[in-house]
Amino acid sequence: MRWTKELIPIAGAIVLALGIGAIVTALTGYSVPAVFKQLVIGAFGDWYQLAQTLTQATPILFTSLSFLIAFRAGLFNIGAEGQLYLGAFFSAWAGFSLRLPPVLHTVVCLLFGAVAGAIWGFIPGWLRAKRGANEFVTTMMLSYVAIYLTSWLVAPGGPYHGTQWANQTVRIATSAQFPRFIRGAQLSWGIVVGVLIAFIVWYLLFRTPRGYELRAVGQNPLAAEYGGINVARNLILALVLAGALAGLGGAAETLGTHRRFIENFSPGYGWDGIAGGLIARAHPLGAILAAVLMGALRAGGQAVDRAGVAPADLASVIQGLVIFFVVAPELIRYLRRLRRGKLGDTEP
Amino acid sequence: MGILSLNLFISALRLATPIALVALGETYSERAGVINVGVEGMALAGALSCAIVAYFTGSPALALIAAIGIGASLGALHAVWSVYLRADHVVSGAAVNLLVTGFALFLTRVIWGWRGTSPSAPTMNAWILVGVGVFLIALSQVYIFRTPWGLRLRVVGEHPRAADTAGINVYRTRLFYTVLNGALCGLAGAFLFNNLGRFTDGMVGGRGFIGIAAMVVGNYRPLPALLAAYLFGFVDALQMRLQEYIPSQFSLMLPYILTVIVLAGFLGRAQVPKALGKPYIKEQG
Amino acid sequence: MEGIVKRFPGVLANAGIDFSLSWGEVHGLLGENGAGKTVLMSILYGLYQPDQGRIFVRGKETRIRSPHVAIQLGIGMVHQHFMLVPRLTVLENMAVGWEPRLGPLLDRRAMREKIEALVEEYGLEVDPDAKVEELSVGEQQRVEILKALYRGAEVLILDEPTAVLVEQEVEALFSTIRTLKEQGKAVVFITHKLHEALEICDRITVLRKGKNVGTLSASEATEEGLAEMMVGREVVFTVSPEPVKSEGRVLLSVEDLSARDDRGVPVVRGVSLQVYDHEILGIAGVQGNGQKELVEAIAGLRRPTSGRVKVGEHDVTGRSPHTLASRGLVHIPEDRHLRGLILTFSVEENAVLGRHREPRFALGPWAQRRSAIRAHAQELVRRFSVSVPGLSAPARTLSGGNQQRLILARELSRAPQVVLAVQPTRGLDVGGMEFVWEQFLKARKEGAGILLVSMDLDEVMMLADRIAVMYQGEIVAVLRRGEATKRELGLLMLRGKGAVD
Repeated sequence: MRWTKELIPIAGAIVLALGIGAIVTALTGYSVPAVFKQLVIGAFGDWYQLAQTLTQATPILFTSLSFLIAFRAGLFNIGAEGQLYLGAFFSAWAGFSLRLPPVLHTVVCLLFGAVAGAIWGFIPGWLRAKRGANEFVTTMMLSYVAIYLTSWLVAPGGPYHGTQWANQTVRIATSAQFPRFIRGAQLSWGIVVGVLIAFIVWYLLFRTPRGYELRAVGQNPLAAEYGGINVARNLILALVLAGALAGLGGAAETLGTHRRFIENFSPGYGWDGIAGGLIARAHPLGAILAAVLMGALRAGGQAVDRAGVAPADLASVIQGLVIFFVVAPELIRYLRRLRRGKLGDTEP
Repeated sequence: MGILSLNLFISALRLATPIALVALGETYSERAGVINVGVEGMALAGALSCAIVAYFTGSPALALIAAIGIGASLGALHAVWSVYLRADHVVSGAAVNLLVTGFALFLTRVIWGWRGTSPSAPTMNAWILVGVGVFLIALSQVYIFRTPWGLRLRVVGEHPRAADTAGINVYRTRLFYTVLNGALCGLAGAFLFNNLGRFTDGMVGGRGFIGIAAMVVGNYRPLPALLAAYLFGFVDALQMRLQEYIPSQFSLMLPYILTVIVLAGFLGRAQVPKALGKPYIKEQG
Repeated sequence: MEGIVKRFPGVLANAGIDFSLSWGEVHGLLGENGAGKTVLMSILYGLYQPDQGRIFVRGKETRIRSPHVAIQLGIGMVHQHFMLVPRLTVLENMAVGWEPRLGPLLDRRAMREKIEALVEEYGLEVDPDAKVEELSVGEQQRVEILKALYRGAEVLILDEPTAVLVEQEVEALFSTIRTLKEQGKAVVFITHKLHEALEICDRITVLRKGKNVGTLSASEATEEGLAEMMVGREVVFTVSPEPVKSEGRVLLSVEDLSARDDRGVPVVRGVSLQVYDHEILGIAGVQGNGQKELVEAIAGLRRPTSGRVKVGEHDVTGRSPHTLASRGLVHIPEDRHLRGLILTFSVEENAVLGRHREPRFALGPWAQRRSAIRAHAQELVRRFSVSVPGLSAPARTLSGGNQQRLILARELSRAPQVVLAVQPTRGLDVGGMEFVWEQFLKARKEGAGILLVSMDLDEVMMLADRIAVMYQGEIVAVLRRGEATKRELGLLMLRGKGAVD
């Protein structure tokens, strides 16, 4: 019941965005049928393409979860990109520096990534809870700091400049790597871990006292305080968890997709997470679908580019449009009212 | 003297300009009750449209108008979403940023075939825009605190219902100042383009958010916000000179770290408008 | 106004009301909460549009589309919640919308002269350059009246103007109203207090359930007659506490407690009080004399700057609401929406707010006992007759009265030793009020000590065994039931110690 009520406006928003995307395509002189055909083929055409979609969806799933867990506590984590980079680097460090048996090594690498991200979430969380500093701006600023920091670590002259021809670390040990599913495709166990974590986040938010407190703080901090909930601690916890989730996303990239840390490896997965979290209406299980959608747009966009029918970035345009229509829950009602000719800002 | 030369103070003023313009715009819209974190995207859109128009027409003046126009349109979009459709202000602003980023990458590819950058195009002297910015800020200080319209603006952000009963259209006021914010962001983007001579997708690089920080430090007043923006501009100018001495990655971090520190020190003291970010719902009639 | 009808979702607020007002009269609009008084006047002021009916101003049929139009017609309204911006000055608040101009600038000097002229004419003393947040409630009301007069009001609607005032300020207000009347202006005086209506009004219209039950001149009206018209039967609602014997145990003891408000101003200054078993201790006082901060400091929501709070034998100063609850202290907060409930949470989630960590409802921090929570919510809803669409429905779908019932159910079901309650009946209808009062008396009978803060002196005088008067952050007197008249209490509330000589 409630599922369909939530899904219909989102589906509507996606259709609307694709429609406007088609108009933009036509206006810029590209062939609409060719572009949309390549978009679908590139995203779901065969097993390899589907694997591409899911590979791209993996980090987006983590950053979406990162965004939405903070959002549930009434906070905006705009800095997932930086947390992702830190998680990716430190899991790589654990991957090439430590000598551990398989599985354990992977788990330790994931933990390194999570902790690195968590620390980067703790700082803005603490500043918000204790100093009142707007986390929207601070997470964003710290994101830049993290990206520059990891960039220096692997730059020439930096301590972990691993190969001569590119700014990246050396490869991580085989014992740390995620197994891959299909030969030749980068899709790895990262997606399975991601889905598992989405379920854990769902359980945490909706089935535990901790999640109850987190959501209470997000919905009404004064009532939460009245209910004996420590608001400051929950604000910090929310951003720590958000940072950890984004850090895990970075670790999954390192362990599964690249098997090393590469400077500027992310094409904006942190930003996609904002979109994913919003499209999912901040629901952890919805985030799985949202991440697949965005992964499909990215993979499809690349196919569009390869086929030479239009630039890949058309997909980012469509993505931007989807978010725009998803974030205005009043839009559908408003349009309906417009049609009835009773335009008023008055209905509460 | 070393790196602390007169030159440094002058280039600090240049670098402060886009930050100050964003801070001014945000002062207007937040005073009216609208949070706009889409300033980053609005400035980027301003820079891009400036580059496109300058490239094709060769006229920096037309380019400037285009930049302001695009910024204002995005401001209107954000206002419709947040004021009329009652979307969460921050969410709607974030959506503007994502949308513009997508379009910037796409359009640069479509037009020039390069992802995220333009070739160089005709510019105007960026100092003109610095002057315009300082003038607008001084004017705004008078406008907000000494004119009837400024008084109405302040009432709308503090107590929209009182404004409504005084015959002030709350929605239209919010729309107007959010559009003005967008226009000023577009101007900031135009400055960035004219300063560099071409477009790159990273050219705003967080200056929109730093502008919001400058507004907070300036406590919603244009002139103090200008001073805060100058501080950020100074650090930005300083870091460029520091690159000779320390790895560039570290000096590039400086403005961002400064923003975090300043925000942590100041935010508690700012007088945030009472109705900021809250949708105004008229009595049912 | 003829045949005014106004519907809201689920409520018929005005069911065809006729109302007329003549120049130079004070017209009382009398009725219970929810009788439709404010709605009717909001229609006259252009805030709402009537679904049916016509309005005539100076004999001409007029459509009043907005307050702005009403103001241009010379109609002004002073709302219960003032339409003033606290951070702006009196001058700025009065000028907005009708600013005198000097070129493009606001002409402050001209505005100041206009204010001074009005102050002179009506004897309403106020400093144009003071910030509104620095003024007392009575002064703010004066600013509102001046604002309406500045905007050219010939008809002035006062919505429950005495609710925020004490006896002595009421007298000053009445003399202002008489001045207005002498000048030929018309005043609508909305109230639910009979004696006030009789004292100041020329004519009185009584509304009940959205209908006009009659208009009569004040000279021919009696309190009993009006009361009967208001409620439709002869008895006016009250509950009467049956006498119970206290065992003299101190359940809550506050010693020399001080606290600051949000701006850092010390507003609670060395308060000491005790609440005994089987007792209701009422705290009377004009709003803004530190009651809110006192309760928050006791309830663990505000850090006291000095002093101690003890529940029974246990020192709980500065402890969290969670700890206090485990010692048997519960809190019915002043604002249901702000503190008492999380409106987007379901009824069952709200039913355990504050108890969500108890072993009964949780297996440690990582698992909830969902069925226990559900059963508990079910039980509360049944025992306290909370009317809900469903246990999974968000709390915002409940009516105000049912929201308050849910809060009372949640807190009183914990069998508390001490109950802190602030304005527990604000905004409720008669049925809702009675329910709250009965629950308090039941808790009292079962041995609890109740600290009741209310701005409604009638409520305090009816329920409390002892009344403590709070003035400027101090307790200036503690009186037993029946020891003081309403007038004496009013004096204490207004002037503090040394008021009664």
